[in-house]
Amino acid sequence: MARLNEEGQWIVLMGLLVAVALFFLALIVNQSALVGQTTSEAVLEFPKNDIRDLRSAIFDYIDAECNEEVEQDIIAISLERKNAVVSFSVGGPQDVQGHKMHPVSIHYNNGVTAYNETTHY
Amino acid sequence: MVNDAGQLYTMEGIAAGLIMILTAYIVVSTTSIYTTGDTHIPDMQLEQLGSDVLAMMDTPDSNGGENQLVEFVQNNSSTEFAETFLRYCNAKTDGTRDNLHMSASVTYRENSEIKERPLVAVAPDETWTGRESAVRVTRWVQLDENASRRDDPYGPRARAVLVEVLLWRA
Amino acid sequence: MLSLDLLAGFTIFLLALIMVVSMVPGLLAGLESSSIDYDAVAYRTGVILVEDPGWPVYPPWESYNEDQKEEIIRMGLAISRDTPNILLSTKVEKFFNRTFFDDDDYRNKAIFGDIPYSYNFSLNISNPDGTYELKQTGSPMPPGYGYIRRVVKIKEPGVAEIDESFKDQYTISDPPGDEGSSTARNFTVRLDFSHLLDPAINPIYQIDPRTEPVNVTITDFGGYLNGTYENATLANVTFWKAGRDFPPVSLPWLSFSEEKPDSYTLYLDGDSHNLTPNTSVNSSISLVLKPAAISLFPLDQNSILDIRFNFDDDPPRTNITGTHLYDYNATNVTHLDLKTAVLEVAIW
Repeated sequence: MARLNEEGQWIVLMGLLVAVALFFLALIVNQSALVGQTTSEAVLEFPKNDIRDLRSAIFDYIDAECNEEVEQDIIAISLERKNAVVSFSVGGPQDVQGHKMHPVSIHYNNGVTAYNETTHY
Repeated sequence: MVNDAGQLYTMEGIAAGLIMILTAYIVVSTTSIYTTGDTHIPDMQLEQLGSDVLAMMDTPDSNGGENQLVEFVQNNSSTEFAETFLRYCNAKTDGTRDNLHMSASVTYRENSEIKERPLVAVAPDETWTGRESAVRVTRWVQLDENASRRDDPYGPRARAVLVEVLLWRA
Repeated sequence: MLSLDLLAGFTIFLLALIMVVSMVPGLLAGLESSSIDYDAVAYRTGVILVEDPGWPVYPPWESYNEDQKEEIIRMGLAISRDTPNILLSTKVEKFFNRTFFDDDDYRNKAIFGDIPYSYNFSLNISNPDGTYELKQTGSPMPPGYGYIRRVVKIKEPGVAEIDESFKDQYTISDPPGDEGSSTARNFTVRLDFSHLLDPAINPIYQIDPRTEPVNVTITDFGGYLNGTYENATLANVTFWKAGRDFPPVSLPWLSFSEEKPDSYTLYLDGDSHNLTPNTSVNSSISLVLKPAAISLFPLDQNSILDIRFNFDDDPPRTNITGTHLYDYNATNVTHLDLKTAVLEVAIW
């Protein structure tokens, strides 16, 4: 097949090769775009603001002298509206560097992201 | 070049190979699931902005000062809530206003039941088609125990409620 | 013929490719819109600026001068890492200082991109009196830039303003007692770090001399003058480390005779002076001690720092005395309310 009248085929083939090469180059250049896309997905997926908000809610709860009803509110509403399993416990005040602070442990799991923290407040 | 017929076969082979590899690549990559990419970015921007606004409304301007978010929820003042939220949300540095809209509700627990109470309804002049790409941002609010607070819709006991805001660009 | 076979096959293949591509959104996402990457970079830059205090923290990066500029690793504007969206006004001032930072600084210390992105940062602060203050750096924005907008609050450092209302409290009772026999008069401003840095105080409202400037301003100084004297001589300002169990010890100071606007500023009646002015003053004394200076002192979280204003005239022309506590009492230190602001980051 390639023996007869093949002058034009060089041009066609070379054109094809160049086109394929360009295509791959374009893909590589646009990897950065895909990075951006996955970044925004990751940002949406990771509940940064939820966890921060939960922490501040728990600290407010400690300020309000650990009302048990408030604890139930946070756990039940988290499960219902945010699909997140939340549990936390607050210990009695301890002496940390001369200041009285409560040890706090926080557990958060929304099925995709799990977050555990032990801190002092 | 005496006879380049063989080279042409080689080229043809390479071309065919590339096409096959390309096909294989596309077939393989179709199996990985991507949802619509472009809508993620405005969503992410809106969600971040909404969370910022709620957090700032939850921050008193001075130590022990008035917490706007708690006040609004406690007094069920929907107009002030919407006004403050949108003022923060729509402010741009060049002084122009953005065109964001919102509605809000408060979720609270009554014994074992989770109830929802609308705080800000969609304004009647805005035609909410349901096709807008809205994001939901939330913030915990703690209401103190206060027996004298009689206009409080959530009862006298101390409780944590969840403020949920639906935010979209018109 | 090969060309015909190939072209036909290739056409079919291309058609199939186009169909597959159009059926799978996201497969080649961004082939036509490269703004996605810009949005991600803008988001990341916004997070660095709004949620991070920058690096180094102690002494904070904004206290670095031109010679130490290379040591600034990251420019974050937040007060601390626990207080996202609360920015410190001194960090903001430094960040938008175009004579200090150039394009490369913003790229290397805030944007962290592999390619030299163009940028535009703008911050619009709304003052309590209803006016707006716009801060901006960068080039005008072309179409198709990546963008993020953040709502923040800005904290201003407190000011200990000592006016005439403290006169009775800080004047030696007349006739003078033992102290009256000496010609030296001194007035002390005390910073108790263990009280200021108490973790029970929300970091948003904390006075942290390690990161924010300490401002002591004596207004109405004329009210503290004795009888008919028109002024008094401020001999020097010294710094003492006091302890709960030991008497105050004088702290070394690199140079009392040189003005160092990066470390402190001292204004007497509106004129700038060094820390040994020996100059007469009749209306106001204003000392701002910046974090760069505090970091030179050997202080820890339990130290007490005394700032002592020494007056010396024979006979004494002022009877000012006593210790002013720099603390959370609103009478002693004036705290301005947090100001709401909007930060926009544009990257392209």
